[in-house]
Amino acid sequence: MDSNLNPQLGRRDLLKLGLGASLALSTVGLTASLTGCTSERAAPEFQVLRASDLPLLSALYPVILGPHPALTQHPDAIAQALAQLDYSLAHTSPFVQKAVLDLFGLLSMPLTRGPLTGIWGDMSKASPEQLNTFLLRWRDSRFEMLRQGYNTLSKLLMMSWYALPLSWATTGYPGPPVI
Amino acid sequence: MVRAAAVLGHDWLSWSTRYLTDYRIQGNSMPVPDLFLQGVARGWQVIDAASLATDTTLEADVIIIGTGAGGGTSAEILAQRGLKVLLVEEGSLKTSGDFKNNEAQAYAELYQEGAARGTADGGIGILQGRTVGGTTTVNWTSSFRTPDPTLAHWASEHDVKGLDSESMAPWFAQMEERLGVAPWAVPPNANNDVIRQGCEKLDYHWKIIPRNVRGCWNLGYCGSGCPTNAKQSMLVTTIPAALEQGATLVHSARAETLVFEGDRVSEVRCRGMNPTLTAATGSTLRLRGKHVVLAGGAINSPALLLRSKAPDPHARLGKRTFLHPVNMTLGLFDRDINGFYGAPQSVYSDHFQWDQGTTGPMGYKMEVPPMQPSLMSVMMGGLGQESLQRMNGLAQSNLMLALLRDGFHEQSQGGSVALRDNGDPVLDYPLNDYLWDGVRRAYLSMGEIQFAAGAKSVVPTHAHGRESHSWADFQRQVAELSYRIHDVRLASAHVMGGCAMGEDPTRAVTDSRGRHHQLENLSVLDGSLFPTSIGANPQLSVYGLVAKLATGLAAELS
Repeated sequence: MDSNLNPQLGRRDLLKLGLGASLALSTVGLTASLTGCTSERAAPEFQVLRASDLPLLSALYPVILGPHPALTQHPDAIAQALAQLDYSLAHTSPFVQKAVLDLFGLLSMPLTRGPLTGIWGDMSKASPEQLNTFLLRWRDSRFEMLRQGYNTLSKLLMMSWYALPLSWATTGYPGPPVI
Repeated sequence: MVRAAAVLGHDWLSWSTRYLTDYRIQGNSMPVPDLFLQGVARGWQVIDAASLATDTTLEADVIIIGTGAGGGTSAEILAQRGLKVLLVEEGSLKTSGDFKNNEAQAYAELYQEGAARGTADGGIGILQGRTVGGTTTVNWTSSFRTPDPTLAHWASEHDVKGLDSESMAPWFAQMEERLGVAPWAVPPNANNDVIRQGCEKLDYHWKIIPRNVRGCWNLGYCGSGCPTNAKQSMLVTTIPAALEQGATLVHSARAETLVFEGDRVSEVRCRGMNPTLTAATGSTLRLRGKHVVLAGGAINSPALLLRSKAPDPHARLGKRTFLHPVNMTLGLFDRDINGFYGAPQSVYSDHFQWDQGTTGPMGYKMEVPPMQPSLMSVMMGGLGQESLQRMNGLAQSNLMLALLRDGFHEQSQGGSVALRDNGDPVLDYPLNDYLWDGVRRAYLSMGEIQFAAGAKSVVPTHAHGRESHSWADFQRQVAELSYRIHDVRLASAHVMGGCAMGEDPTRAVTDSRGRHHQLENLSVLDGSLFPTSIGANPQLSVYGLVAKLATGLAAELS
């Protein structure tokens, strides 16, 4: 890593960035705008994600991201990622919100999950190998819907994770300049 | 200054001091003045529609829908002619004080659909702005005149009159002057320099990109809104000028329908947006004017006309919408590239843009994007360990992109805009073999340049992309890839067309002056006018074209 880039923007600055973001998330008072789109309401502290989405996503993050050190260094890393993802989804269009929630719903409902992923129990109880196998199956599927589903899962989880300052150290990215 | 230098490296400090003209940086504690908010404090008429408690009617000489490249340019010209102008913008008002170089915040607040807009089948992700200043507030500053072959093609194939290069030259010059457009004089960052180095080795064309900046700090965060007001977007140039002349800006209001009386637009009916800008659930605004300028940009302008059931006797509305579809290759080097810092786009290559003619196999322009991590994680792809490995190499990686020139060949008809159940627009852009052939050739060109510049490995952005450690292996990989939707990763940051201009009403929505063929007092003055894609980053094409057309309109109306 180039030492010229080594923070001045120190770890404290990066944490400040992250703290500011999570403060913003918790104080923004958004009303759910998904009228009729889903029967299950958003989980407490969330604007879009439902209680049934959280265990699924928590299980998927480590598989999609790989063994990122921050997953073990920060006990609340996935909680931060979920909050970031929820914030982003709250700002997308009704169509995108519905499409994403429908996708998550397919994965958390037993009747659809089994046939589509080969995982018949809870996602949170599946092994990393099982989850990896299902993701690859979707990625390489001859069905466009499943390939699109893989891309959506990958994109949402990666973008939310790498928006977090705690994910940056391993990439050599010192963070944004503070003006 | 010192702190910034420590962040960005000593080299940045030594040559940036020669180019910072507009701002004196007196240590970290001096904030950059928020020029827009200063104007509001001085008395500019700016209305936040989201906070309007009751239904409201406003009148003006000209209603301008949209505050992007077209809306801003026309607002200044019309207001300077003494016309009372009212601008309405669907996005909210975010100014330099709001721009914190924060990717996720920017995507959520400044982009259409929270940066999650995409084509109907999900094949192409679309980045388009939604904020005061439109996409100009979040673009990467590249400013090119419309290429001569494009203008000639419009004249010969699309019945466009009066917009040949000679007629357009003074208008491009006017807007280049207005917006500080000049070839970037600071050494390109290492990410951009990969293009230069590779092209030099291969004897391929390369050139410095002109940028619309004044006093740029060379940060590289244009895509999350310029925090120093150096980027000469509409937000800091034409809109302030119009507001100084007494124009009114209404933001956070979506223009839902146009109301017609005979062949005239009598009213623009709008509604205030909700706090997340996902729905128009607020009070109603009725805007009345003698003339209406539609400048919502491609996708949005046709959508408004579709929602309004505007006359469209030959079913041209929304058709021929183009995207400059982008594919990319990721090169890994054994030196630091740090593509997340420095002016994002400063070098380009047109070597393969016109080499097979204007209407042959799809040409493309090669550039690089800024490489901040959130967006890059998606572009780099890979699953699990593969993804982590690529992200761990971010600082030593170069991502190259190819802007594919769609709309010139008969197998490149572009997409068509339709409406979802709730009236939101959706672009259906089919992917075909003509496009895949361009994608394949672009992968090869980019990989070749990266290897020539010293890349140790190159990965095509593709579901099955793997690291090739030699040019020979890369060629084999590209030949064997699956060219189908969702496997090839495609993106777009340039949306064009859908309200095509042209003298023939059976093929165009407006005439060559942007005047709607069927509606008496409606002009379309934005990028949806383009009959094909541009073949270059489109902002200056919009500025130049709209400057000419708005000047003509201003003379007629005043």
